[in-house]
Amino acid sequence: MKRIYIISAAALLFASCEEFQPVFTGTYPDPQEQYIYTDEDFGNKFTSIAEVKDMYAANGSKPYVVEGNCVIKGQVTTSDQVGNLYKSLYIQDETAGIEIKIGKNGLYNEYKLGQWIYVDCSGLTVGDYNGMINIGYDDPSGEYETAYLEHSYIIDVHVFKGAYDDPVEPVVVTEADLHKKVNLGRLVTIKDLKYDDHIFLLAYVDPNGNRKDNSNRIFIDEEGPDNYGVDTWACSEQKWKEYLNAGNFDAVEAPAGTVADYKGPNGTYAIGSMAYSVSQYFKMGKTNVQVRTSGYARFADTKLPQEVLDGTATVTFTGILTDYKGEAQFTLIDLDGVTKTDGTQWYN
Amino acid sequence: MIKKVLLTIAAILCSIALFAQKNDWGGVKGTVVNRAGRAPIAGAELVISQSGEEMASAVSDAEGKFLIENLPNGMYDMTVRASGFLDANVNVTVEGYVKDLIFVGMVPEQVVTEVDDSNFAEFDMDDSGFEDAPSILFDSNDPFTNIASFGFSNIRFKNRGYTNESQDVYLSGVRMNDAITGYSPYSLWSGLNEAMRSKESTIGNEVSDYGYGGFNGVTNIHAVPSSVRTGWRFSALTNSALYRLRLMATYASGELDNGWSYAFNVSARIGGNDWVRGVYYRNFAYYAGVEKKFGDSRRLSFVTFAAPGQRGAQNASTQEVYNLTGDNMYNSNWGYQNGKIRNSRVRKTFEPVTFLKYTSTPSDNLEASAIVLWRTGKNGYTALDWYDASDPRPDYYRNLPSYFYMENEDFGRLNFEKAAWAKDAWVNDIPEYTHLNWDRLYNINWNNYDENGLRRSKYAVEERRVDQNDINFNASLKWIASRYFTLTGGVNYKWNRTEYYKKMDDLLGGDYYINIDQFAERDFASSPTMVQNDLDYYFEHGEAQVLHQGDKYGYDYYAHVRNANVWANGAFDLGSFKADLAVEAGYSRFWREGLVRKGLFAGLDDDGNEIVYDGKVLTTYDQLTGKVITSKGNSDISSFLTYSAKFALQYHFDGGHRVYATGGYFNDAPTFAQSFISPRTRNSLVPDLTTVKTTSADINYQYSNNGYNFRITGFLTNIADQTDMMSFYDDSQNSFVNFAMSGIDQRHLGVEMGFKLPLPVNGLSLAGALSMGEYVYTSTPRMTMTVDNSAEIVYNDQPVPYWSSSPVFKKTVVDGETVYETDLSGDPVIEGYKKHYVPSTPQLAADLGFNYRTNSYWFFELHGQYFANSYLDMNPLYRTDWIVAGPDGVVTPVEIDELTSQEGFDPVFLLNASIGKSWYIDRKYNFGFSLNLQNITNNRAVKTGGYEGTRLADSETMERYYKFDSKYFYMQGFNYMLNLYFRF
Repeated sequence: MKRIYIISAAALLFASCEEFQPVFTGTYPDPQEQYIYTDEDFGNKFTSIAEVKDMYAANGSKPYVVEGNCVIKGQVTTSDQVGNLYKSLYIQDETAGIEIKIGKNGLYNEYKLGQWIYVDCSGLTVGDYNGMINIGYDDPSGEYETAYLEHSYIIDVHVFKGAYDDPVEPVVVTEADLHKKVNLGRLVTIKDLKYDDHIFLLAYVDPNGNRKDNSNRIFIDEEGPDNYGVDTWACSEQKWKEYLNAGNFDAVEAPAGTVADYKGPNGTYAIGSMAYSVSQYFKMGKTNVQVRTSGYARFADTKLPQEVLDGTATVTFTGILTDYKGEAQFTLIDLDGVTKTDGTQWYN
Repeated sequence: MIKKVLLTIAAILCSIALFAQKNDWGGVKGTVVNRAGRAPIAGAELVISQSGEEMASAVSDAEGKFLIENLPNGMYDMTVRASGFLDANVNVTVEGYVKDLIFVGMVPEQVVTEVDDSNFAEFDMDDSGFEDAPSILFDSNDPFTNIASFGFSNIRFKNRGYTNESQDVYLSGVRMNDAITGYSPYSLWSGLNEAMRSKESTIGNEVSDYGYGGFNGVTNIHAVPSSVRTGWRFSALTNSALYRLRLMATYASGELDNGWSYAFNVSARIGGNDWVRGVYYRNFAYYAGVEKKFGDSRRLSFVTFAAPGQRGAQNASTQEVYNLTGDNMYNSNWGYQNGKIRNSRVRKTFEPVTFLKYTSTPSDNLEASAIVLWRTGKNGYTALDWYDASDPRPDYYRNLPSYFYMENEDFGRLNFEKAAWAKDAWVNDIPEYTHLNWDRLYNINWNNYDENGLRRSKYAVEERRVDQNDINFNASLKWIASRYFTLTGGVNYKWNRTEYYKKMDDLLGGDYYINIDQFAERDFASSPTMVQNDLDYYFEHGEAQVLHQGDKYGYDYYAHVRNANVWANGAFDLGSFKADLAVEAGYSRFWREGLVRKGLFAGLDDDGNEIVYDGKVLTTYDQLTGKVITSKGNSDISSFLTYSAKFALQYHFDGGHRVYATGGYFNDAPTFAQSFISPRTRNSLVPDLTTVKTTSADINYQYSNNGYNFRITGFLTNIADQTDMMSFYDDSQNSFVNFAMSGIDQRHLGVEMGFKLPLPVNGLSLAGALSMGEYVYTSTPRMTMTVDNSAEIVYNDQPVPYWSSSPVFKKTVVDGETVYETDLSGDPVIEGYKKHYVPSTPQLAADLGFNYRTNSYWFFELHGQYFANSYLDMNPLYRTDWIVAGPDGVVTPVEIDELTSQEGFDPVFLLNASIGKSWYIDRKYNFGFSLNLQNITNNRAVKTGGYEGTRLADSETMERYYKFDSKYFYMQGFNYMLNLYFRF
């Protein structure tokens, strides 16, 4: 009988002393604060952004996979908070600005305006998109010259967060300097642009269908005073439907006749809907500047200021100056970048 | 018949004894009872022997009574045997008179083994996506359920393929199935094994004394103090499957001389397990009951119990993730927070149940009872919530190698190098990427300052609350009109109001969160009203509510359910022939009451006018009915009148043979959970709601005699007109959609068999169970799909043509390429159709093993099991015409093959064993242990369930859609459970 007690006591001990790990059910300790990288972490040796951009041309204008030690350091100039930039951010140093194709949503949560960022370019690809040099990952599909970094592991071994700092002051760029290499990809202010009564947007009969197939594409490209009535910076899915159902695009050429031919007897169109980017054209002096805005931007459906549309007022933009096949293009970060000549906001 | 003969003999012997009147002769009498609950045991065989020679025998009558007389004075051994109980040996001294032993208690086999239903009930994987219940019910006297109830639970076996909702679970006569979902609510009393041990069950269509039941049996748990085993009991249990330690204490007074009885049961279950990280228990449970007997005929009992606590949940992942981690038990719910494992999905419950029951037995042939039962409290389930930030889940598909590279070029995933990085992160188990990264979430919140210097949380933990208030009134009656006819019946009324809402559980280092709908914001960013979760608040304050910890947000609504039913059963007893006829009628009403006005579905204002804001009409109308779509206030009331009838016929033959058949027609109202299109956002009901109609019949043969026990059953059940409701992101629409499917029919046809065969060695028996069936879908359901954010109808009343079967094409493989053969007109050749099966249960389950019990209370069991024909739950979206056709609208055999066919799981062989021993000390103290070993061969490749994805992958050719990977649950490998108990 004694033996039974001993065995059972041992068994009970075995049962209760088995550690309760790996489970913790108490109050969780606060996490570690994130590490803030400094120049020392990179041996104070940096390559300038301009030098990195030049690697593309030096490689015969082909995507160049950076080898060896190459760390760039720059301040964040963009935010994807309002959605006009998507999965990408721009950084700039005193030599140039460049897009880093990080490939995550909500980058503004982790990379603040003005924050210093270190990018270890070794193993990354420098490529071009219609005249804009960017840093991304190798894209074997050939669809683009660079792909997004996208996976957190890839991002974490190439992009390092440094100290917070004040947002970068935009450089005022004149008409003559619009195509200057140093200004491309930089946070700039361009002043006193005049609305050019010209829009461009590319829509699809079936947005889920093949977007490269011309039998699926509808080009809405209009120069003239009415612009098919597109008076917003872009159009969300709802806005697109609104424009479409109001008959704004009935006259537009479509794969089968005109858009009107897609109208069914009950008034609905056999055309799919999604958010569409719109280019609104402006003139800076004699130079065309297209302000291209994503249909997913929160200000997509916001109307351009009426006085600007009417041509009675000019507009000043602050944002990222880019280049699209040799033409000046402009990316707004948000509507705070749309001001009057005196610097006051068009929108509040 | 034997019984009668024996009783007659006993009576004759008795009268002889009377004549004898000698003082050197005597006898014994008494009542054979179940030691637990003192329920009489009929048909127990009693053998009196002296020095191994049989002297006399008897069989207990229907009330358990026995009498053995005409025995010479002396010492005897009396052996009592009854099916389902351990043999009992009693020393009897005959001293010249008929000694009244009063009770001869028998110990149910399961009590000694401790491997009983109460333990497996805790092996449920509730939070892992499995149902919150043991897979089948328990009846220790039935050779099939005796094995299946415990032995088949790990594989998630469903009895006859039926869903959990079809099992009626009663507590002291009140049907406890969840008013909203129909699920059986075992979690309410998990951990109270002792208090809830005493129960009765029926199988299939059988009629119960406690309620009408359905086609999948009724279990009634007595739960009153007088049903709890008298005395003290302490136990400690450790197991590797669920939690590290369970401690339990129980005391029951039994019925005291003054008519009072009381009982309590408390337990704690704590710790993690050996298999799934992040899963833990911190659960407690209590039960307290008091009962008073007034006179001989009336009893009043009051009971309250609850199982408060919290536990971390498990999650299913894709096979790719399991392969990368090398672990089919990988759990994506947890991550490290400053080195500590933290689970994001924690079930937190405290739902006390209280009842008051009155029972009256004014005469021997009449028993009536009335009960009022109240369930209340809170039930929460935490989850991560995030606003305009990247998806934090580690196994999100964009974090996996397959998102970057697929061999099939049509996926357009060609970046092998990125896939290699992703693979590297997983294979090397770098915790920042393979688990939740709490540190990162905190840091994002900490650094997200607004213009006021406060931090708006981008990530938070929400708690989804389902708080029930459920009141039941119930009265029942049992009237033994004559020895030929007994009538039982009752009336029930259930009042349920369940509040669904979200609560801010943890801001993860931030200061506040904002009460807006980010999915609405995605689509309607420019509308300040449509993004509001609480539009009235916005109107009043001009901005969305700023949320702090503990605030309600997101959605908030009541589900109101009222159920009433009346039932009666007439039992006819003509000796060998018995018949039951039962009928039931029910009335069920339910509706939704929105407590907040959702911006997307503003509805009408309090005066019934359209709501206008900033010159825009916010009120929206249903495209089909033209009715206003509302979110606040009461929805339309759905009401259903239901009626059901069933019968049972049985005939007893001499020698323990019994043949019986049952049949029934059942008409069940749909549940609240199946009836609303998007209950979190609006009052819209699923169109054309109707009752579920079931016909069920079975025929059975049972043999039970001399320790032999055998049952075989054939059953056929047709279930028609079921509905199902799903919400998911549809890539073909680029939006969240609600998918309502109706007219789902299924057929369950099968055979069930169980046996127990005593072998020549004393105490050794061979036992087995077999369930073999075909549970298939038989209809082409109809579906209606609406956009969640706008109620826009995408598809109205369309068929789901590939739901019940998919065609099998004639094909050949040429140089590794599959070629579909075509006929002369160029159409693919169809060889036949493959049925689609009711998922998530093996349709073939078999068990065979040895049980060995010694007179010294040792027991050993060794069982082998085989399971096959288990199938994956199907996503109906992949079975629709337009998804099969793909973006090009052209249906090809390969699309049909890959999208519509149903995945089957591999067959499984498992080996389980148990060992246990019980010691009695001074006849007063009882000490014992049991050790249960499951899956001894450590088979870790056993899929127990899962579900298909809902999303679609792009194709470069734009000719077709690809399915997303399915997610699976696996069974754990080798597990042990050791239980030690002490009782006095």
